[in-house]
Amino acid sequence: MPATPVWLAALEALFNRGLHSSAQALVLAKRLDTTALRLDVIGVTSIRASVIGARLALAGPEPSAMEPPGERVDASISGSPLALLRLIGGPEGRLGNRRNLPGAAVRVRGDAEIANGYRQLFVHLMPDFEEELAGLVGDLPARRLSQYARGAFKWLRSARRTTGENLAEYLQEESRDLVNTTELDEFLGAVDTLRESVDRLEARLTRLELRSKAPA
Amino acid sequence: MGQAFRAGMSNSDRSTDFGFEKVPWPEKAARVRSVFDSVASKYDVMNDLMSLGAHRLWKHFTLSLTGLRRGQRALDVAAGTGDLARGMLRQVGKEGRVVLSDVNARMLETGRDRLIDRGFVGNLECLVADAERLPFADDSFDCVTIGFGLRNVTDKAAALRSMRRVLKPGGQLLILEFSTPAFAALKPIYDAYSFHALPLLGRIVAGDAASYRYLAESIRMHPDQESLLDMLRAAAFAEARYHNLSGGIVAVHRGYKT
Repeated sequence: MPATPVWLAALEALFNRGLHSSAQALVLAKRLDTTALRLDVIGVTSIRASVIGARLALAGPEPSAMEPPGERVDASISGSPLALLRLIGGPEGRLGNRRNLPGAAVRVRGDAEIANGYRQLFVHLMPDFEEELAGLVGDLPARRLSQYARGAFKWLRSARRTTGENLAEYLQEESRDLVNTTELDEFLGAVDTLRESVDRLEARLTRLELRSKAPA
Repeated sequence: MGQAFRAGMSNSDRSTDFGFEKVPWPEKAARVRSVFDSVASKYDVMNDLMSLGAHRLWKHFTLSLTGLRRGQRALDVAAGTGDLARGMLRQVGKEGRVVLSDVNARMLETGRDRLIDRGFVGNLECLVADAERLPFADDSFDCVTIGFGLRNVTDKAAALRSMRRVLKPGGQLLILEFSTPAFAALKPIYDAYSFHALPLLGRIVAGDAASYRYLAESIRMHPDQESLLDMLRAAAFAEARYHNLSGGIVAVHRGYKT
């Protein structure tokens, strides 16, 4: 078994702090006691998560095909990093809910109840970054830094949306490399009208042909 | 491991490693004790010099893994001058309890005095005890740590079993110990430092080159990361794993009692 990276230990410590400050997470952890889940983050790493004595343990990277002797997993969830984040960050619900499974990007194997339990546990354990920061720099600076960070994210989201809109407008209106929706609708409408006219013409021609062949 | 476990042999017939030397099984504990008697007064200064301060980061990382909360109980085996115990005392608070144990009374006295000087009283106990036969009831502690001590233990398997016995179900063992560098390129530099610079530092600062030569040799004879992991699993620890620190010069092994 290769060495477990230090960042995973830091993540485990962060999650465990959250575990003991959330009554719901503790109830879930007790339900999942002595179970294990393998989380395959496709193209990144494979992590083994287990719960022992109301404590979450993370280990990895693990070869997907092999498990340490006597340390089997009860379930596994695999998917791209984005899909797994959406799974955890998605609305409350069960894994069976299709809204929580972004297409076929996430695959669940083994005991679905346990996999769902871990999903719910991770949802509860998502750290409050302002709280964590307050532990390092104090409440007021943490509040101010969080406000700056939220402002920066908001600006980034808005900048991304505006840039997309501007680019689309340029490609449609200035360079004319793309058609805009109205023109495309008009074009598709005209295609439909033309097709219907051709169909009618074809039917008329067939009728004329039959009439000309008919005995006088 | 180099330790003989042949059935039918008495301890006096067995031999074990003392650095690169083979010594009779019962002799190792006394020789380790004499090494640490010799270095006790300069132990902390030497740790800083030898690791260039990195031992503080290694211990800080180990403490971040304990998962201890206020009111819990912890045991620091081979506590030495009490660096890990100090961190755990902060984690368990006044309501908790931390026990320091070491086979070397002089090291333990130094550790105890230092902790008391820093205001840790009432939730701290110290006792001279052998890691292979810990004098505690079963299921007594939420976390057991052993920092830079396991390689000096004669019967490591017995020590692991003993530490597991005193852990509560769900409790965690943390072993901070020198290990094998994970990068081959690091090895010649590390060897040169260990076998030449360390004894020289020992001679200049602590006036004892032999003890620091033993330190370098004992590190080489200690099981590597994977072997120690196998020993943890053999001692019935669940979810055993390790983290390499400073490129594998030091590793933290962890295991849970289920």
